[in-house]
Amino acid sequence: MEMSQKSDLADDRLLRRMLAGDEDAFTDLYRLKHPAIYRFALHMSGNAALAEDVTQEVFMALIREPGRFDPARGSLGAFLFGIARNHLRKRWEQERRLVPIAHESEELGDFVASLPSSNGSGAVPASAVDDLESLDTIGRVRRAISTLPENYREVVVLCELEEMSYEEAAVALNCPVGTVRSRLHRARAILLEKLREPRAARRVSALGK
Amino acid sequence: MDCSQFEELFHDLDRPGTDGFAARQSVLEHAESCSQCAQLLTQAESLDLALSALSGRETNERAPARVENLLREEFRKTHAGSARRRVRWQIAALATAAAVLLALGLSLRHYERVTAGSGNDLRDAPSLTPSISSNTGDVDSSGVDSVATEVATADNQLSDSDSASAFIPLPYADDSMSTDGGAIVRVVLSRPELASLGLPVTDMSDTDRIPADIIVSEDGAPQAIRLIAQSALD
Repeated sequence: MEMSQKSDLADDRLLRRMLAGDEDAFTDLYRLKHPAIYRFALHMSGNAALAEDVTQEVFMALIREPGRFDPARGSLGAFLFGIARNHLRKRWEQERRLVPIAHESEELGDFVASLPSSNGSGAVPASAVDDLESLDTIGRVRRAISTLPENYREVVVLCELEEMSYEEAAVALNCPVGTVRSRLHRARAILLEKLREPRAARRVSALGK
Repeated sequence: MDCSQFEELFHDLDRPGTDGFAARQSVLEHAESCSQCAQLLTQAESLDLALSALSGRETNERAPARVENLLREEFRKTHAGSARRRVRWQIAALATAAAVLLALGLSLRHYERVTAGSGNDLRDAPSLTPSISSNTGDVDSSGVDSVATEVATADNQLSDSDSASAFIPLPYADDSMSTDGGAIVRVVLSRPELASLGLPVTDMSDTDRIPADIIVSEDGAPQAIRLIAQSALD
């Protein structure tokens, strides 16, 4: 809570300087806040180009209409997530298509290619197998998240991946705290079900890639 | 604690400020005594680890640099525009303030003129109520000269402490308001001298002397008179 207050104070200072026309303050604020917004948009859309557009739109809105942010209603982060969510919904309404995580296999391939080729024997070292297994788990979790219904997915991204409190997430999602909590519990239950695949099958699947 | 309560709380064990966090000890104790809930707890812990690993792995995910460049450009444009608008507003505000001050100044000046005019009523003249009802004959310029103890030649000699009534035409004047070729002379007159000019004077025994301006025509005949009330004399 104390960390959150310190962060809010820092955000407030940067925002004030930004409102006074300080470009460096805007840049600092952007660099501080945009990765979470981008990741949220990426998880929600599964599309890097769309996530880029949404991130851009969110900060455009902050530049053009900074007065829309009311510190009494929640943190700047929650406000920005709220804008991102609205933009994503608009896009979905326009396009009516949602591409689930397209870069997953590419990313996994890149990671495997970057693994050390051990001592020249061609055998993959045990630590690399562990890394690969770990990456497989991460990939499975990511895929599982991407298949969650939208309202469950957004609470998982905000509360689990971005480590927001229920209160902050409630502001961002414009819904009661109890709704955030119950959605998250339901989402976690679904994720647990999806991840109950036998461990051996997972290892084969990961090495096969 | 029973299994349904456990299921309600076990997702929030590590989330400060929640019921699950507050009841953490009871939840863990229940898991020790219930194998099904213990399994759920283990799975939840695995999920937490996986989510944490995913979150850590994605920490460095960010939008391309071109987005930042584009936004900074937009920021510069927006704030340059608003700075221009601010300067325009400041100029407009200054112009408005100047116009208001000017209007106030003019109003004040007009008000002072009006008050000065109304304050110079004949009522201000000490114990005199001149009227133009009687006809008392001519007073020539030599008469004026003879009664003058102080002679002035211009109207602008009224000092700050003076206030003057309007000119009153003398009963025999031809054209009392015309000063063509004539002049205005400042004189100090006794009450009998005022009476000789045709002004009704109530108390002839009073010995005070009254300052006045007289319009004298080109031929030296007094045409009109105004009494000067001197606050210094009051």
